[in-house]
Amino acid sequence: MEDVTNAAILILNFLFVPGLTYGCQLALGALGVTLVYGILRFSNFAHGETMSFGAMICILVMWWLQSLGVSIAPLPTVLLALPVGIAATVLACLLMDRWVYRFYRRQKSPPVTLLVASIGLMFLLHGGIRFAIGPDDRVVGDGARFIFNAREFRHATGLSEGLAFKTSQGITIVVTVLLVAALFWFLNRTRAGKSMRAFSDNEDLALLSGINPDRVVMITWVLTGILATIAGTLYGLDKSYKPFVFLQLLLPIFAAAIVGGLGNPLGAIAGGFVIAFSEVSITFAYRKFVAYLVPESWEPEGLLQLLSTDYKFAVSFVILVLVLLIRPTGIFRGKVI
Amino acid sequence: MSFLSGEHMTGGYGGGANILEDCTITVDRGEIAVVVGPNGAGKSTAMKAIFGMLDLREGCVRLDGEDITALSPQARVRKGMGFVPQTANVFTSMTVEENLEMGAFIRDDDISETMAQVFALFPILEEKRGQPAGELSGGQRQQVAIGRALMTRPQLLMLDEPTAGVSPIVMDELFDRII
Repeated sequence: MEDVTNAAILILNFLFVPGLTYGCQLALGALGVTLVYGILRFSNFAHGETMSFGAMICILVMWWLQSLGVSIAPLPTVLLALPVGIAATVLACLLMDRWVYRFYRRQKSPPVTLLVASIGLMFLLHGGIRFAIGPDDRVVGDGARFIFNAREFRHATGLSEGLAFKTSQGITIVVTVLLVAALFWFLNRTRAGKSMRAFSDNEDLALLSGINPDRVVMITWVLTGILATIAGTLYGLDKSYKPFVFLQLLLPIFAAAIVGGLGNPLGAIAGGFVIAFSEVSITFAYRKFVAYLVPESWEPEGLLQLLSTDYKFAVSFVILVLVLLIRPTGIFRGKVI
Repeated sequence: MSFLSGEHMTGGYGGGANILEDCTITVDRGEIAVVVGPNGAGKSTAMKAIFGMLDLREGCVRLDGEDITALSPQARVRKGMGFVPQTANVFTSMTVEENLEMGAFIRDDDISETMAQVFALFPILEEKRGQPAGELSGGQRQQVAIGRALMTRPQLLMLDEPTAGVSPIVMDELFDRII
């Protein structure tokens, strides 16, 4: 019996908790992509870099705060920097819209033109970020590292398998729940949120109802800026911040948005968790897990890992291709691309 | 002086050919005007021209004596015009009640009275107020669409084929209610 408990704790510790945290980060990223797609009707490839930009501003402000000796231990200092990061990112989003996207919108350009423009902005932002903060890996978290660690858990329960819960994981989950609740409240209960849904549903009819398109677009960029900054900062807090990572992160984020159904916020969240748990569970080495459950002589020699972690991005790519082939609208019936 | 007049309207979409050629429509206050013609005659296009959804190259549109040719569709809604397009005339993912709320988007005052009037006109909508409009039947959708346009309390209501795709019985009923 104890072996079964140990096996369950092992899965919880190395698969479920990391998957849940990663899923939250992907869900927040995918929400930003899906909002822009729903309202502005193009796939925003610059979203990963928008996340990176927000996280970078937060880190710069965090360093400044640390140099002043400000601390909110046991919570990480970077949380204090979030409002500044959000403000800067929202401003950046609005300026990008004003200087680039608005021109193509007025021309009534096809979505692919806007998509290519967003790829241009992605490279521009990426270069700017690497220039400003450098390409190195940065540790973001300070304060208490664990809510409880493996040793404490083993001591408290007497099990041989430990369960650790990092502060960054706790913060990620709590912040995601609060943010998503606030977003859905906004979209479903407020006039501005409803006008966004109306605009996404039927643009012409929204105009006929007197909804101001410029205002809807502005609110969308504000929401995108908030979501991107928080998603980027949480990802940096949980792992570490490295500008290059956000180019790669774009794939699982888009996969999450498309799997859930583009333009559907609920789908983006579901898609985030589908992608995260697939990625984590396929690249997980099950040897120790099996060893707990089978007699000692049956213990496997190999790692029992389906795919090396080097290939983790292949997982989201395969899921993306399968969804596009079998159910192009995604789980929650979003728009067909 | 008629209430609405579209005079010598000539225009088409984007840079394309003229679809409307020297078209004039005038309607008096309190009058019900009907545009009849075969498929492709330009009935819908003329309505879109009046509502500012077509690029006019010549001619002008006047509402109550005021020249509104340069105004955007959403600005014309504020001037008291309402339009129910032929297709895609409801927000399918939103509930009936939210559809009506969006219809009244430009109003800052209390809309509950107007909503009660719409519900009195189309009782079925009150029953289905919490249901997404996309799940309703064709006739019920049409009622939502008209109800949405009525929510602004327009002085001028334009309906583009309000009975398209609706059974004759429902059509009779619909016209009774509209008129």
